[in-house]
Amino acid sequence: LRLLSALTEKRVLFPVSFVVRLALVVYGDYQDRNMVVKYTDIDYHVFTDAARFITEGQSPYNRSTYRYTPLLAWLLTPNIYLTVVFGKLLFIVCDVLSGLLIYKLLCLRGVGCQTARYVSSLWLLNPLPMGVSSRGNAESILSALVLGTLLCMEGKRLTWAAALYGLSVHMKIYPVTYALPIALSLRSSHTETNGTTQSWTWRTPVAFVGSFLNSKLILFASVAGGVFFTLTALFYYMYGWVFLHETYFYHLTRRDIRHNFSPYFYMLYLTADSRWSQALGLAAFLPQLILLLVSSWTFHPDLAFTCFLHTAVFVSFNKVCTSQYFMWYLSLLPLVIPHLTLSVKQGLGLLLLWFAGQAVWLAPAYFLEFECYNTFFLIWLAGLFFLVINSFILVQLIAHYRSRKSLERQKAE
Amino acid sequence: MYYLRFYLFFCSAPCVYLLKEGNGEQEPCFFLKGLQPSLYVELSHKGFHRDVVTTVELGSDTPADVRALLVYRWPRDVYVDPYQVASLSHQRGWQMLFNTAIDLEKPAHRTSEFSTYVYPSHVGPTPEPLKVTIPIHGRYHKPSFDGKTFTPVHIELPELLLWTKKCTPFQRLEPHTVLDAPCTASNTSICSWVKIQHPNKNSVPMSLHLPVGDGSTVRLICTGTLVVTLICCVVLCHSMLKHPLR
Repeated sequence: LRLLSALTEKRVLFPVSFVVRLALVVYGDYQDRNMVVKYTDIDYHVFTDAARFITEGQSPYNRSTYRYTPLLAWLLTPNIYLTVVFGKLLFIVCDVLSGLLIYKLLCLRGVGCQTARYVSSLWLLNPLPMGVSSRGNAESILSALVLGTLLCMEGKRLTWAAALYGLSVHMKIYPVTYALPIALSLRSSHTETNGTTQSWTWRTPVAFVGSFLNSKLILFASVAGGVFFTLTALFYYMYGWVFLHETYFYHLTRRDIRHNFSPYFYMLYLTADSRWSQALGLAAFLPQLILLLVSSWTFHPDLAFTCFLHTAVFVSFNKVCTSQYFMWYLSLLPLVIPHLTLSVKQGLGLLLLWFAGQAVWLAPAYFLEFECYNTFFLIWLAGLFFLVINSFILVQLIAHYRSRKSLERQKAE
Repeated sequence: MYYLRFYLFFCSAPCVYLLKEGNGEQEPCFFLKGLQPSLYVELSHKGFHRDVVTTVELGSDTPADVRALLVYRWPRDVYVDPYQVASLSHQRGWQMLFNTAIDLEKPAHRTSEFSTYVYPSHVGPTPEPLKVTIPIHGRYHKPSFDGKTFTPVHIELPELLLWTKKCTPFQRLEPHTVLDAPCTASNTSICSWVKIQHPNKNSVPMSLHLPVGDGSTVRLICTGTLVVTLICCVVLCHSMLKHPLR
């Protein structure tokens, strides 16, 4: 316990977490050179190849399976000019930066600084994000941008929040779902007349729409929209239609029939060429949409929790789900943890359940891919089981979540 | 492991090599007795990711300037990852040329066959056999509606082409034929290669089996998926509405 306390001292925690990630990058380089199984993720090679095309004056989309913004390839051009590990160094810096943003955000949300450090260490000393960044995945850039947006929103710095939000939507499409809770949290609060709760006159919908038209929301929308559309226009001018397709449309219409964690995988594989394909795709989209709307409406005053729920629901009910997507909501989980009334035992139990769900899926998937057994039916069942587990965990988190005021009231009592 | 062995026998009369130094004039290419190149091909690993291991033994009398070219014609059921090959070719001592761009993600029925030209770096006169290991990956196939859980994939044996400076132009080389193909993997020039004929015309190609989805269960799968996702959605919505922010 004393070691834990010493480790989470502010002066120690951040340097230690950076040094450990750096050591992993160095080890990864050694493993790549000397062993058959490579440490570096295939995505990192895709980024580096795309950056190489840029240094040769060509389009990064000449690299097959490069489905990201050209900004990422441009950022990684020092991979070619300086050292091939530059990208990994950038990702681990963003990872530690995410930890710092979590810490600042927790302090700002009224969690004590000691608790904030313990909770931030759940991200900074967590092997999962360490592994993801040191292997060369770019998820940490996006988590830093999203956390930065939330920090600026919490600190009421709207212009910065909007700029970071626009940039994050440009880099990956999923933060666009945060637009609804952000809009709901920025609209003018309207007082109810005479204490009546339900007065469905024609004025109510008009007043509802009118509450969105305030200066804060218009400012946010303009800055975020401005950043997003400027970047889009710039890269469209440079690379044309292929940029729009690979960065955005591919992800919106993506139907990967190869096995993945999504509960819809087998259904989409079997119906890929049938006339029901479109209708089923739409049916798969509806639960996602309904849950995003309901969670925005019920939790929008607490933006961090809403964004966490949004992302968790989005990933769990998506038509394609790979383990990289888990990073999107795991980076927001530390913001939620101090508000949970779960015991440590219950929390660990939920964590183990989450890992068990993945293990149950990974087993038949391994046998399919590497041992040539036909385990499609088992993978389908495991995918549904994983969805049920994720839903159960989310229900527990929702049921045991308390706002700051409520926690303080409980403490006072 | 599944493998086939094939032996190539050359007849003594018209042949590929000119092993003895000629007087510079157009001598026929005599094949010296005792030179018996052999070609073995085997598939290793299981699952969607396999290695095609080709071993070529040209014999100890191979002249130093002989170059070999292995031409593989791949069915659309598998693919070779050009990026993986590029990162491996330095370690493995061969270069590969593709005749078309490869889409790494499309299912089998949406792609077509392709060919690869493999150029081993050193051919003769080493006594060790030439070994080329090519990693291939299976593509997803259309689900089957007739209850079959696996689909067979047949891979043809590669063609062996040889070239030597001392034996051009080629004359009276029956049963071998002359083919034009790129000289090197950089594809900057075309050379005349001699295709070594297999005497055994009934050779069986390699085959592997890949799992496919069961299309006859589509109603069960769709119903089950939609029911479970709907239930989870309803439960989550109920939970969100029951436990608002407090």
